[in-house]
Amino acid sequence: MVRPADEINRFEQIASEVFEPLQRYLLRRASRQDAEDALSEVLLTVWRRLEDIPQDRALPWCYGVARRTLANQRRGQRRGLRLVEKLHSEPIRHHVDLSVGDGDPDLEAALQSLDGADREILRLWAWEQLEPREIATVMGLTVNAATLRLSRARKRLAEQLSRQDSRPAGHKRVKGTKEHRDE
Amino acid sequence: MSDDLRDRLARLDPMSADVPVEPVTSETSRRLLEKVMSTQLKDRSASRRSTRSAWALPAAAVAALVIAIGGVIGLGISSDDGPTAATLELNAPAEDMMASCIMFSPEDLARVADIAFEGTVTSLNGSTVTLSVDTWFKGGDYTEVMLDAPLGMEALIGGIPFEAGSQYLISAQAGTVNYCGFSGPSTPEYRAAFQRAFGG
Repeated sequence: MVRPADEINRFEQIASEVFEPLQRYLLRRASRQDAEDALSEVLLTVWRRLEDIPQDRALPWCYGVARRTLANQRRGQRRGLRLVEKLHSEPIRHHVDLSVGDGDPDLEAALQSLDGADREILRLWAWEQLEPREIATVMGLTVNAATLRLSRARKRLAEQLSRQDSRPAGHKRVKGTKEHRDE
Repeated sequence: MSDDLRDRLARLDPMSADVPVEPVTSETSRRLLEKVMSTQLKDRSASRRSTRSAWALPAAAVAALVIAIGGVIGLGISSDDGPTAATLELNAPAEDMMASCIMFSPEDLARVADIAFEGTVTSLNGSTVTLSVDTWFKGGDYTEVMLDAPLGMEALIGGIPFEAGSQYLISAQAGTVNYCGFSGPSTPEYRAAFQRAFGG
């Protein structure tokens, strides 16, 4: 089966739109090699499933495919190491070091203290700059569920931050100082 | 306040816009896209096989490493970023991971499952089926379970005909969820078998 010209155009269009943001998405969450493998796989999925891609949400749709691809890779790697996988096993560690950038140890610590799903929702929100409707597409949730989960995750993060702020000075830095520094 | 938090989080982004990535217009990128577009789409299952061998995709490696238990079909359990209290994610197998079925009995069900629940499909979205859990029989307390078919809905539908609003009984073993009669649409008899298997 050969794709007609308009479908090839659509693929090219989607590929141009998603190619760079997808690399960012993958490199935030995986090693370079895994990200490259996953990028190929996501593009192949786009090619195979052009008909299934929502017109206005191609990028979140691709993030969703990328998310599952990375999950499969991790599972494969874990199996390869003959680890017995259990439901409540340790979360897989991220390859991206959160301590890069200008540094915001309070926020990093608060983010790390959240559970994986909260952390991922917040990353999709702040790093991929997605709105709940798009987060819903990535995570296979209803828009209502995504809205609710984002709001809960933000609340939990804010609670963690204020808990840290209430610790004695000298142990943790005060939140405001770094924000000014970034200006 | 919330936008402050979003901005502050965004500043932690290790791949912010000023970190360069491969541009779509580069020669390497073009080669990759051309290769993808030269993938034959004869029929769905054939194109899968050909793309796997051509690209040595991770999915193929996963398929090779999965061991079907007693002929029961595997669904890998994906904790993704670690399991959450509320949502469990399960991945559907590639079709070629499906093995032949063994005869169903509650005893066998009890033997091959450390996770078992009854749930209602709340959404079918792309390759993901989300179920809201109605009853846990064994092995968890999640309120929501997502089934994910990495190769599309066909792989899931090949095992279980999911429909929004319908109830299903799903069983899984750590790293492996079971098709082939060990998961499927709810009926009173089937539910009774789950109850018998798990002493519910």
